[in-house]
Amino acid sequence: MAKKLGVLLAVLLVLTLVGPLQAQEPVTFIWGAYTNPVQLYSAVVTDGVSFFVLEQGCESLLAFDGATTNVIPSLATELTANEDLTVWTAKLREGVTFHDGTPFNAEAVAFNFNVWRLTDHPLHFDSQVYEYYEYMFDGFDDASLIQSIDIVDEYTVRFNLSRPYVQMPNTLAMPMFEIHSPAALEKYGEDYGTPTVGYVCTGPYKFVEWVTDDHVTQDLWDGYWGEIEGNVERIIQRVIPDNAARFAALQAGAIHGKENATPEEIALIEASDDLYYILRPSLNVFYLAFNYRIKEFHDPLVRQAISLALNRQAYVDAFYVAAEVANTFLPPLMWGYNPDVPMPEYNPDKAVELLAQAGFPNGFSEVTVLPLDDAGNVMLDAEGEKIPLTLFWMPVTRPYNPDGEGIGQAMAADLAAIGINVQLENAGDWATYLARRRTGDLIGLYQLGWTGDNGDPDNFSGYFFKNCNQPQEGYFNFPEICETLLQAGSLVNQADREPLYQQADAMLAETVGRITIAHSQVPLVFRSNVSGYIANPLGTELIRFVTVE
Amino acid sequence: MTRYIIRRIFETLPVLIGASIVVFLLVHLIPGGPEVVLLGERGSETNVAELRARLGLDRPLYEQYLIYVGNILRGDLGRSVAGNIPIADELRQRFPATVELSLVALTIAVVVGVPLGIISSVQRGSWIDTGTMLGSLVGVSMPIFWLGLLLLWIFGVALGWLPFIGRLSPNVEIQTVTGLHMVDAVFTGNWSGLVDAFKHLILPSVTLSTIPIAIIARITRSAMLEVLHMDYIRTARAKGLRERTVILGHALRNAMLPVVTVIGLQLGSLLAGAVLTETIFSWPGIGRWLFNSIQGRDYAIVQSVTLVITFIFVVVNLIVDLSYAWLNPRIRYE
Repeated sequence: MAKKLGVLLAVLLVLTLVGPLQAQEPVTFIWGAYTNPVQLYSAVVTDGVSFFVLEQGCESLLAFDGATTNVIPSLATELTANEDLTVWTAKLREGVTFHDGTPFNAEAVAFNFNVWRLTDHPLHFDSQVYEYYEYMFDGFDDASLIQSIDIVDEYTVRFNLSRPYVQMPNTLAMPMFEIHSPAALEKYGEDYGTPTVGYVCTGPYKFVEWVTDDHVTQDLWDGYWGEIEGNVERIIQRVIPDNAARFAALQAGAIHGKENATPEEIALIEASDDLYYILRPSLNVFYLAFNYRIKEFHDPLVRQAISLALNRQAYVDAFYVAAEVANTFLPPLMWGYNPDVPMPEYNPDKAVELLAQAGFPNGFSEVTVLPLDDAGNVMLDAEGEKIPLTLFWMPVTRPYNPDGEGIGQAMAADLAAIGINVQLENAGDWATYLARRRTGDLIGLYQLGWTGDNGDPDNFSGYFFKNCNQPQEGYFNFPEICETLLQAGSLVNQADREPLYQQADAMLAETVGRITIAHSQVPLVFRSNVSGYIANPLGTELIRFVTVE
Repeated sequence: MTRYIIRRIFETLPVLIGASIVVFLLVHLIPGGPEVVLLGERGSETNVAELRARLGLDRPLYEQYLIYVGNILRGDLGRSVAGNIPIADELRQRFPATVELSLVALTIAVVVGVPLGIISSVQRGSWIDTGTMLGSLVGVSMPIFWLGLLLLWIFGVALGWLPFIGRLSPNVEIQTVTGLHMVDAVFTGNWSGLVDAFKHLILPSVTLSTIPIAIIARITRSAMLEVLHMDYIRTARAKGLRERTVILGHALRNAMLPVVTVIGLQLGSLLAGAVLTETIFSWPGIGRWLFNSIQGRDYAIVQSVTLVITFIFVVVNLIVDLSYAWLNPRIRYE
């Protein structure tokens, strides 16, 4: 027995050294991802890994153009609105079919939207979370912004809305609203989008296989209506969870590209002939939030002093591959950004002065926590409890924050220099951190950020600051900013809205209601035989433009 | 013997039930549920509440537990919170991956560790002995992720000899029979698949075997040393038996008892503890799955995988105990 095993092992070793003969293989682009897609059904996922797969095979009515957030036609050739923007009519592309051979038409569009919109639809499952439909269209059923959908003719569909909705084109271009085959949705029910089924859409690549924790394969589909600019015939997304192993895989040529790189890796990439990187334009913000249950934070002088003490440029240089200091909440790429807001200063001496003016000549390390009333609002005049001041750092890496702990330590050192001593705390893992943020339990200063969803500023500063009548994140409550954003979100014309967002941006910066730190660009790394990859600020990137030599 | 086996099997039932309760309570008591992870930065108060209701997390704990146990008894492990993927399907796919990796690693550990232990016990104090003991100390103390990355970089990147991602190359396919790729490749006569699967196993299994090699070598050595002092060994030598027969025939057989225990326990911990190795080498096994699911608070997965691991531990323990009773019949009657 032992001898036989020995022989087998010897044979294996020899075969290993000889290597298998390679058959003719399709031109393949292999992408390294850090985790699995969550599911391959656009309406119920929100993560970038799922959308990296879905974007190659599925299409929305409209699309974001290349390297910008401009909206262009896709499955719809035209989208028009009535005067008050409550009725939107889409002209659909003719002659398009789904991967299963069924036709794409007005009925298919209405079917998809009805599944998402109506909770009593037989295919609207409780176990699935139609998060973005709820979020972008106000909710489901009667609450839904889309009140009804008319099939005007085979290639015309009309959306009747309950209020003017200026974001409609941007929203319809979001990958969450990609149109899937009604026949496939009906056939597979709750299993649609899981590894055994995958997706059935209209895009240039079709689903082949998904082995969880290993890879997803998609092949070029010969029935695609559009043009393929690149030469990729097969896309494989491989799951490589360990960061160092993912970079090693790129170095060894086992993958062609991946997202993200540390500053150390960038140095290696720059020194290598085989690798290069490009930057994804920034559509995000990294901020340090005040929890306004702390009495001291209601004093603008204190907020100003904390802002002046932080050396943002140093954080950007030390921790990011590519980022710029944020002068405002909105990133410069977003319309509504206010370029006239001055860059935040780094001036510890002035910070000390302001602190003295505010009544803290020696700084502070303890703060007062105010109680809440029954409606959950902070009671400003009440007595409070003294606690040590805490700075909470994010326990995970996000595009806008590459190193929560490192930046947290740097912030703490900067604050100590002006006499404000903070305790650093990580608040547990990400789930715990988010739960405590939501319930307002991160009492102190805390790190967080945001990445834009659709290129409209209402989805950015509007999301955070326009809900005047309810407690907002960190008990943020600045009525003027709120009203400005509310008004901007109710107008129909971009030209009318833009100055209001700029104004809100400036007010937020001036009052230091929240401290903006940086807008970051994520590096995308490739082997040098790959060309044509177009980085998109929303992360919706298409392999059909890519060429592999 | 039969009565002993039946008694031992019945004793394991309360362990399984207890484990399921503990696991159930623990994952539910950690702050931050799946709904928070799912919604991420976008989770508002109302969204979270609605999602809790949809996932059934607003029901009392005991009710959730009873529903869960009821489903398991019907053979339904439920679906993952994120992705809505049937857990039983996933388990069927990932479990063989971990079993294959663990078995190969354990084989390496036994094949290397036992002889090393024997040699160093026989040649006690020699350079081989010192070297083995030093080596096993290093083996136990070296962080797996460091060793793994080192091997990966040397043999995968710098020399380019071995693959280090997953179980197979992207365009290689092996028909599933048992789920163990090496075995399936032999069954289906897929020789290029066999080579590919073998290549993929080398780096992770070597990495994973370092700690068990060290532990098995040490235990074998000390068990052998104890036995070698016994009178019957002296008698055997006095009878003029060849040294080889004395060591392997008489000493080793009696020294195997603790070694078998350790090998059994190692298999259990390899199956459960391959998280780091599976992560570094992108191995699609259950260790990594469990770890990710804990982070995502994907309750049903955490519970199912933990139960499976508990079950394996219990079964391995049972087998170890039974082999004890077989090696040393006195144990049965204690």
